[in-house]
Amino acid sequence: MPTRPTGMIWWIVRPQLKRFVLGVLIFIGMSAVWMSLPAIVAEIIDSVTETRSLNEALPWLVALMACTVVGPLLFITGYRILFVAESRARVRIVELMSDHLERVGTGVRSKVSAGEMVNLSTDDNRKAAQLLFELGFGAFNAAAFGYGVFMLWRIDWFLGLATGVGMFLIGTCIGPVLERLHRRQTAYRAQTAEVTGQAADIAGGLRILRGIGGESQFERRYAEASLLLRDTGYRLGRADSWLRGIEGSLPFALAAAVTWLAARQAVQGNLTVGEVTAVFGYNMLLANFLGFVVGIAKNWIEAMVSARRLSSFFATRDPLPAEGAGIGRGALVDPLTGLVVEEGSGLTVVVSDDGDAAKAALARIAFRSDSEATWGETRLRDLDRGVIRDRVLLLEEDYLFRETLRGSLRADDDEAALTALRTASAEDVYTSLGSDLDAVVDDAGRNLSGGQRQRLRLARALAAEPEYLLAAEATSAVDAPTEARIAQGVSEARRGRTTVVISSSPLWLTRSDRVVWFDGGKVRAAGTVAELAENPEFRTLTSRAG
Amino acid sequence: MRDHERLPTADRRTVLRSLGRLIAADRRTFGAALVLYLAAAAAGAALPVMLGRIIDGIGEGWTLSDVDRLGFLIIAFVVVQLVLTRYGRLLAYRFGERAAADLRERFTSHVLRLPLGQIERAGSGDLTTRTTGDVAAAANLLRETGPQTAVALLQIIVVYATAFAVNPGLGALLFVSTPVLFFAGRRYLRVATPVFLAERAAMGDTAETLTATTAGAATVDAYRMGPERGEEGRRTAAVHFKRLMGILRMQSWFFPSLDFAILFPVGVVITVGSLWFLEGGPVTIGQVATVSMLALRLDPYVFGGMMSLNAFQEGGAALARIEGVSMVGDDRSRADAPGPEGVIMDEVVFGYGDGPDVLHGLSLEPGRGKRLVVVGPSGAGKSTIARLIAGIDRPRAGAVTVDGAPSADLELAALRKKVVLVTQEHYVFTASLRDNLRLADSAADDEDLARALRMVGADWAEGLAEGLDTMIGGEHRELSITEAQQLALARVILADPEVVILDEATAGIDPGSAGNVEASLAAALHGRTVIAIAHQLQAAEAADRIAVVQEGRIAEAGTHDQLLAAGGAYADLWRAWKGVAA
Repeated sequence: MPTRPTGMIWWIVRPQLKRFVLGVLIFIGMSAVWMSLPAIVAEIIDSVTETRSLNEALPWLVALMACTVVGPLLFITGYRILFVAESRARVRIVELMSDHLERVGTGVRSKVSAGEMVNLSTDDNRKAAQLLFELGFGAFNAAAFGYGVFMLWRIDWFLGLATGVGMFLIGTCIGPVLERLHRRQTAYRAQTAEVTGQAADIAGGLRILRGIGGESQFERRYAEASLLLRDTGYRLGRADSWLRGIEGSLPFALAAAVTWLAARQAVQGNLTVGEVTAVFGYNMLLANFLGFVVGIAKNWIEAMVSARRLSSFFATRDPLPAEGAGIGRGALVDPLTGLVVEEGSGLTVVVSDDGDAAKAALARIAFRSDSEATWGETRLRDLDRGVIRDRVLLLEEDYLFRETLRGSLRADDDEAALTALRTASAEDVYTSLGSDLDAVVDDAGRNLSGGQRQRLRLARALAAEPEYLLAAEATSAVDAPTEARIAQGVSEARRGRTTVVISSSPLWLTRSDRVVWFDGGKVRAAGTVAELAENPEFRTLTSRAG
Repeated sequence: MRDHERLPTADRRTVLRSLGRLIAADRRTFGAALVLYLAAAAAGAALPVMLGRIIDGIGEGWTLSDVDRLGFLIIAFVVVQLVLTRYGRLLAYRFGERAAADLRERFTSHVLRLPLGQIERAGSGDLTTRTTGDVAAAANLLRETGPQTAVALLQIIVVYATAFAVNPGLGALLFVSTPVLFFAGRRYLRVATPVFLAERAAMGDTAETLTATTAGAATVDAYRMGPERGEEGRRTAAVHFKRLMGILRMQSWFFPSLDFAILFPVGVVITVGSLWFLEGGPVTIGQVATVSMLALRLDPYVFGGMMSLNAFQEGGAALARIEGVSMVGDDRSRADAPGPEGVIMDEVVFGYGDGPDVLHGLSLEPGRGKRLVVVGPSGAGKSTIARLIAGIDRPRAGAVTVDGAPSADLELAALRKKVVLVTQEHYVFTASLRDNLRLADSAADDEDLARALRMVGADWAEGLAEGLDTMIGGEHRELSITEAQQLALARVILADPEVVILDEATAGIDPGSAGNVEASLAAALHGRTVIAIAHQLQAAEAADRIAVVQEGRIAEAGTHDQLLAAGGAYADLWRAWKGVAA
């Protein structure tokens, strides 16, 4: 995967190379048609003024009409080819982003924010792929320029030279302005992001602002950022308005100057009036095209920025080592805390004064983070990760993707799906979606309540039937009778396998085969509830409301 | 979950009035920009006119000095055009930036004054789209596409006017392709918006899919969903490609029509003009050359104008959604409630939207300065009670009053001194810790803030390197669920209302520390009315009173001991809670 922006761009262009070349060739043909127009007009005017009849001009009139038809057709043909090339490139970037996420998603997660991900897959993708188009148009303009200078040269070598040098000077004049403009644009975009971020923040926390207060404080802060954006916009306007003035006037100044030179030649009888018209026509078309060239230059700069951002996305790596190969056997052990989870040990309840420490320990023995944790005698990092994932499942704040309820549950068949829902006391998820396994669960489970989401996640974990189910967050958002049903259902459904739940609820403890007590981030004791309940400290931790 | 009720959208008249107001607010800049643009366009059109003069002059036997005089004049015109264009564009930018700033600040003020109930009903999605995407699109209309379209239109008008001034007969010939332009333009405008919207939606789907895959990367890894998520990404990309081809199909007839409409008049002007000239009509060959060159000059403006029409429409639609927010009025009229009664719910009937009743004639009186715990199974209507007391919703029948005034009628400034609702959804603003706290009490000093944090057990705050200035939320220091909850509770202590409703507010705090937080919160809120809603029973035993809600009614109420003795629903809940087999 290319890590430099230029490599990235080549990598986007390469698969579309044939299409791209064909499009460019057609555009070059089109530039010849466009640039012939002044020459044809000149021939008509000269033959009309000289012969005082339309007869000799007739072939030129036909040619003119042919250009009127052929020009647009050539344009749209080339345009279509380049558009398809660009679209294919955009699709390909998304495909490769998908592939990359498939391989190292967890690595991307810690490096790329959600907002960034949206930008990468929409704006940056479009800007980078747009290069195919910009290069095509660039070729068109370069061809038109070369052709125009050549035609002028044929009329009078000095006029051709003057036009060529003039256009070059205008280009060098615009360069620095463009650079300054780019800097201002970057500043403007950064400030826009700040203002947009603040607005999103206000919308997101609006119920707090309206419920508790702080409207004027946040309004003031927003107004300050907004005014700063306005002033940044003024500065951008100063640079951009010069560019607009220059690109809209300097080429015409050149056209005027060259036409003037041609007129002097005509007065001296060296050029015909038709040729003067042609000189003017070439210059005016070139002036029109120069505006496009400036646009291409701007987009090129943006494309490079986007390509750089894309290449750093593709440079993200998997945070976990991937070389392991063996298959684990025996207990999962976390040496850091002393947590040992035996194979087939039924329901273990972890009681902890600090929930985060217990969650981190489960993450280590589930190989979500790299550590010295072992499976039997072997370190997890030396084992085949796919096998670990198949046999050990960590249930935490898992994500619910937008898919059908059946797809969300990932069960072998409908019977198993419904059983998992029942065990997790999540029948209401099923009924609230119209008792239909094909009903769609929204992205992040947005069409479910917090409690429903939690029980659906549990149902999904149960349906996966892992040998080890490590539940960091199982029933924190459900009421007591439901929790009692879940504890009973889970302990029965997973008899003979291994289940670990972090909870201090008596409803889980009464169902447990074994209890592990975390204190100060380490395992302090393990045993049955009855054994541990002899310790008064443990009783305080687990007895509720006195 | 209830369906969200979208915020209103303004009609065309309101949008135009709002545009008019923005222009009127800065009419000098607007007018000056317009005049400068017109002058610049006119100066630019002088070029082809003078070409005609030269051609005819050569026929009339001009000398070198005649040509030189005109040459100077042309160059002078171009320089004038440069200056006019520059300052015209500068003023247009100033106008656009100022108008965009006005618009977004006014919009944000409106958003910050939205009624509580409306905010809850609209959901955050619609509002966030309006505050971010729509504001950006409207700003783009004001500072980019608006001026561009205006410039293109002015240029086109000036070119036509110049052609007429040069020779009315030849000028009229430029209109031969106007019907093509008109019909192609009209058809394009009609079909383009949905085509572009479909493409945008497909791109949005792709972004949503990839973003979800990233956000759920751990889940993807745990369940080995990689291949199917990858497949989903590739599928959305394929749909996007189809939508892009839809745009291409449309442009495939539109672009050639435009090109043809621009080029065709050139041939017509030359053919007809030459015939006319040969027959001795009122036309010179210079004029024929001028008008045909003017026709070519239309090319970038017609194309540019047509291309920005779309963005123009989008900006208008965004403006309609922005103005829609200002149409939401507040229905609160009571400035204060002086009574001594506290919170009273009397025979309250309530349901969401057009849905069935959720509460069926429920009555509840916590008592001033008392601590009431509301318990009951999920879906019994506990959170609905909280929303009604907090004045978010209005009962269908019966009354919910705070100190004698209906809570849904109290103005927010007065209401929030009386009642504050804390839910389990805790929002952390992307701002300093100080700003996150002071929104509850703008007069609080650092010592007050530190005390409030200590009271809720937020010891982590003392360890922050930059203290209260530490930026939290967003890309800054991320707060854990526990920390965010402590922050929310610290806000309540600072706000110091008479009634605090805690709707599952401590649900995510570790069991070890939840008790401490509850205790310190109770101490901090001493003398205040506390209504705690819980589906678990931590706090019930110590409460002054317990109300059990079942199916929208109070099933029973009383102290812990009374209810246990009664052996009803609460006693059952309690047994379940204590793990005694039910």
